[in-house]
Amino acid sequence: MIGIVAIILSLFAGSYFKQAALDAQMNSLSRVIEVASQEMLKQVRHHTFDLGMKLGHSRELISTINSLSEPGNQQKLVEILDDPFVNGFVGFSNVDLKKIRVYNLQLDLIGESSARPGELGDKLADYLTAIVTEREKSDRLKAVDALWMSPEGPLFSSLTPIGGLRPIGYLEIIVNPVFNLPDIGNITKTPLHIYSISGELVNKDAQDLTGDYLPVEFTLHASDGTPAFRIVGYENVDELNREMEQTQTVTINGFLLLSLGTLLFALWLFNRFLFSPVSRMVDDMQQITHGKLELTVNNRGLREFHVLANAFNAMTDQVRTRTNDLQRLLDLDDSALMCFDHDNDAVYFNKGATKLFGYSSDEIIDLDFADLFSDDIAQLMKEAAEMKELHQGNLRVQLECKHKNGDKFQSDAIINSIDVMGKSGFAIALNPTPGSENPASPQNDQRINAVEQTLSSLLSFARDNPGVMSELGNLGHAESTAAGVDAQKSQLREHVVQVMNLSLTCWEHNLGKSKIELADESKIWPVYIDKSTPTTRTLDKYLNIDNCPKNPRCQRVIDTAEFVLKKTASKNAPEQKQLQAALDEFRLLISGMKTKSR
Amino acid sequence: MLNVLIRKDISQVILMFDYSNATHYQRILLFCVSVLLSSTLEAEQKPYAPEKIEGVAIVSAEEVIEMILADPDLIVIDSRKKTEYLKGHIEGAINLLNTRLKREEFERISADKSRKILFYCNGVRCLRSSDSINKVKEWGYTNLIWFRGGWKEWSEKRLPVVTD
Repeated sequence: MIGIVAIILSLFAGSYFKQAALDAQMNSLSRVIEVASQEMLKQVRHHTFDLGMKLGHSRELISTINSLSEPGNQQKLVEILDDPFVNGFVGFSNVDLKKIRVYNLQLDLIGESSARPGELGDKLADYLTAIVTEREKSDRLKAVDALWMSPEGPLFSSLTPIGGLRPIGYLEIIVNPVFNLPDIGNITKTPLHIYSISGELVNKDAQDLTGDYLPVEFTLHASDGTPAFRIVGYENVDELNREMEQTQTVTINGFLLLSLGTLLFALWLFNRFLFSPVSRMVDDMQQITHGKLELTVNNRGLREFHVLANAFNAMTDQVRTRTNDLQRLLDLDDSALMCFDHDNDAVYFNKGATKLFGYSSDEIIDLDFADLFSDDIAQLMKEAAEMKELHQGNLRVQLECKHKNGDKFQSDAIINSIDVMGKSGFAIALNPTPGSENPASPQNDQRINAVEQTLSSLLSFARDNPGVMSELGNLGHAESTAAGVDAQKSQLREHVVQVMNLSLTCWEHNLGKSKIELADESKIWPVYIDKSTPTTRTLDKYLNIDNCPKNPRCQRVIDTAEFVLKKTASKNAPEQKQLQAALDEFRLLISGMKTKSR
Repeated sequence: MLNVLIRKDISQVILMFDYSNATHYQRILLFCVSVLLSSTLEAEQKPYAPEKIEGVAIVSAEEVIEMILADPDLIVIDSRKKTEYLKGHIEGAINLLNTRLKREEFERISADKSRKILFYCNGVRCLRSSDSINKVKEWGYTNLIWFRGGWKEWSEKRLPVVTD
């Protein structure tokens, strides 16, 4: 509907525009003809003035006039005045000289040329007479011109003094302006016809009138205001329409280009000051929410974005501070605090725990219940729940713990069932000095509750912001489990075991070294001393699908394979190719899982 | 004049400036300045004649005619070039270009330093007649008249001209 209205309006506007342009062109042409006719008369005046001055200073003419009464001088005067018709003069071809007449100072005719006889009368034109008689002193020396109406039609005259500054009479140079009028067409660049006032065609220029032309008339008046000629110029309508269409096209295209340019500029402005800053902010915020708390959101941009980014940065700073505070609090606690997920893998431990068990932070994260405790905690919790022995949800028991060096020791423990990544897990607080403090005392309960709450808060935060807390490294994988990708994890574990077995095979066959040496030389896997015997408990788990952790440390597996490939590079054995192929496949699998998780 | 010359020199210096060491913006700025200065100088190359000359009467075309008619001994000096003079001049005028004006020659034209002498050239944008007057004034001529409007005013008023 809008389109139809737009088309109708544009057609209407186009038609109106054409009509208006045509009217304007006609008015313009009329004005141009007027100016051109004045220009033409100016050129004629120039020629007649020159001729008048030339003759007016002629000593022969002056002496003849001064002695006009002498016999033969009248004839001589006529001969002098006829000379320009016979011998020509400067500008002869530019004017149609009609007659030259001589007047005395009283403006009485005293002689005229005999060439080109005509019925012009014996008097100076009234208009010229009036002007000269009105003038006084030196003004009478000024040449005067007029387009006047003679019995033969409009003529142009220039009246100049004879004798220079001391005049003895006046000289009238009369030309036929019809000869020069077609020159107007050369100025207007249009076909031109000149008509007398009675409508008779008196002259026309050489241009043809073929095609669609629109006549534009201008009336040229004589000096006294009487209409002298009708000058008709012809406007080429086809040409005008073509030019108008061209103008219209240029205007529309120009407008469109301008609009497009403005639009692009606006888009650039929006992109520069709105979209780009917001996109950068969103990227920064996403990275921060994915754990890079050390980042800050770029706050350059419009004031509002600046304020928003600063607010977000302040909030992130608060979160970082609070998280660090909570972690520090847990680390400061005397108890060994540990948290295990649904798969019995350790997901959090404080410094007390690493100290109590003798493991480093890297080592302990690979461990599960069985590596640290002789008791089956899950079973204990289940039995306690059935026997209703839980005290405020806590189970207080004495656990047999396994030190890294293989020693076993007893420790008082408070076990609490907590939510870890949406599944049930355990938080365990171990008292480092069994028997020194009553585990059931109210102070200890309060401390344990506070620790439990702190731990829950941290776990909850870590679940929403995977990667934020480095100590909770397994949570990301735990979330994947929670997301229901067990099949993928199973596939991952199979690949882990395959790559690790191929690495070990390649290592043993090509270098003749043992598993212990692999762990020791690579520094990737811990070597434990169990009753004075070195063991690779963690590495062993990765060689068997049944013992492989639910959330295997994929980077360690890759590092191991690369280490083996590097060490056996010179051997060129078939095991290497198998290992390389398995490693590539493993990498593909990991990258695919990462893409899906994003 | 000196001012114009100085400014012209500056313009030429700028136009000849070594652009090789200039930065992009400096080049554009220098180019704009030189173009602007050049166009300004173009417009100022035709300076106006002075409004007046101390001790010299300025007359109009009509007054020139009256003076010529009243005083047959009035000397009229046309300070223009010969070619301009031949195309048309005031009746009785002597052509004496300002740059060729010599004291001895002028004294031959008028030994009487109190005689009325009228100067003219092309008009208000022509400095020839004023230059001639200044020279003649230094030689001790006291009765000098200046037709400042010159040939332009004379021909526009369509007064009688003599062509040779």
